[in-house]
Amino acid sequence: MTPVADSLRPRLRSHRLRAGLRSAWIALDPLRLFGVVLFVGVWQLCTLMLPPIILPTPWGVVSRLSADFWSAPALSYYGVSEANLYGNLLYTAENVVIAVAIGAAIGILSGLLSARFALFRAVVDPVMMTAGTVPILIAAPFLLIWFGVGRASAVCLVIFYVAVILYVFAGRAARNLDPIYEQSARTLGATSRRMVRDILIPATVPEILGGLRIALAGAWGLEAISELLGAQSGMGKVLEVLAGATDPQGIMATLLVLGLTAIVADGLMALAVARIAQWSAPGR
Amino acid sequence: MTALTRHRDRWISLGVFLVLALIWQVLSVVYTAEAQPGEPMVAGWQVLFTHTLLSLSDYWPGGWGVPAVSEGAPRSYLAAVLSIVVHSADTIGRLAAGMALGGFAGLLLGLAMSWSRWTRRLVDLPIQFLRTLPLLAMVPLFQLWFGTDYMGEVMFVAYGIGVIVFAGTVNAVRNIPPIYLDNARALGASQTMLYRSVILPAIFPAMRSVILLSLGAGWGAVLGAEYLGAQSGLGYIIVYAQQFAFLDRMFLVALLFILYTSVSYWGISRLSARMLAWAPPAQRQ
Repeated sequence: MTPVADSLRPRLRSHRLRAGLRSAWIALDPLRLFGVVLFVGVWQLCTLMLPPIILPTPWGVVSRLSADFWSAPALSYYGVSEANLYGNLLYTAENVVIAVAIGAAIGILSGLLSARFALFRAVVDPVMMTAGTVPILIAAPFLLIWFGVGRASAVCLVIFYVAVILYVFAGRAARNLDPIYEQSARTLGATSRRMVRDILIPATVPEILGGLRIALAGAWGLEAISELLGAQSGMGKVLEVLAGATDPQGIMATLLVLGLTAIVADGLMALAVARIAQWSAPGR
Repeated sequence: MTALTRHRDRWISLGVFLVLALIWQVLSVVYTAEAQPGEPMVAGWQVLFTHTLLSLSDYWPGGWGVPAVSEGAPRSYLAAVLSIVVHSADTIGRLAAGMALGGFAGLLLGLAMSWSRWTRRLVDLPIQFLRTLPLLAMVPLFQLWFGTDYMGEVMFVAYGIGVIVFAGTVNAVRNIPPIYLDNARALGASQTMLYRSVILPAIFPAMRSVILLSLGAGWGAVLGAEYLGAQSGLGYIIVYAQQFAFLDRMFLVALLFILYTSVSYWGISRLSARMLAWAPPAQRQ
């Protein structure tokens, strides 16, 4: 470590601390919190005018959530194998994590390859771009009939969409990389392995991680909808059952759990991105 | 990219699609399992364009001098083509109505909420929450609220698109370089003049990707709406085909859908690129 880098370090740390404090202040901004209160208030006002079968009260949804989270015996009557939200959430989360990991690996690899090999891009691009526009409700029934109702179909579907998103992000990141960096490294005699390790990866990782956040945020909805169409457990199955029983309070409680989980997962991911990609300005 | 490589790429993509079609045909020969007697799991092209296309005439409701199959008439290619046209028109009509309604409402609300930094901060967290709720999982709620008729379907599409356009508008206004606004204000522009001659043109490049994004969500949402109890439209055909495991019909409708989505993406991106001819090239992609 050179002395210059040593002298820079404390300043960097205090800068990061200040940035962290600032983001905490933004999250706790009184006006923003008041916005949430206002949202709940308008909802409460609407419930005064509408019957509870159409729009349940906010308090009713929250108490329903806390009651159902650990134990919801009613679900077992409808054939959901896990009679609580916690178990179903875990099932959905497992599938999302597996699917995002596999889909990201496929998408990033093919995206980077497409940015460096024109022929590869010409072959893969039309397939990915066409596949990416197919609505999930069109693709889901085929997988459900071919692979049967179960974990494999749902995970395959999510892998498919995550791979398309990351293909786009990784390809764009590698193509937007100013060629001067690689030219400079090459004139200094870098081997191709070092070019990948020292230039391509550090330069593209921040943007790819941004794409990963978007893919993760979307994956919850995709997983839920493919479970809604056919599964034995999971949040989507719970939604399907509650919709059949005309239970808007339960539906909203389940959606609330799903939305909060997605927000927490996104927050954790943002933290991880900021840590991993410390060298990049947008990552911070 | 030079004209020559673009030309080559076009031939390669054509070749890729031909190879995919060929693989499908080979699969249909090798994998002959049937979902039910007479209904192959993987239907070859010779089946798709004869038997399957004919069977779509079952969904023709009758009229225009072409009798419906449900009235005892034999299946005919004319009825099949008519039924494709009518059901496609229903789906596209719902999508267009929902997009117009949701896009207009989202844009207006978004612009209103961007009036000052205070209102923007006020709506920030609720929008973020609404955006994370999985749209398609909300179909049951909309079914409950608005029923399964035309109104309910359009409202669902409008909600899905409205949330995206709303969030996109607020974000686009926030990203306008402050110097534009400051300059106009320094020259004495009123708030309404600011909106008309600075903010609206300045957000247009950013709104282009929002529109493309909401188009994708819109196609998904219109299918989701038709999945639950519509009596017409391509989603209706898919639901009924799925219940009877008619995989070949599902595949044909899926191909139609891929065609429609691709054409609509291509059309909108061409149109908006033309309307953005004034913007600097970096903002046009």
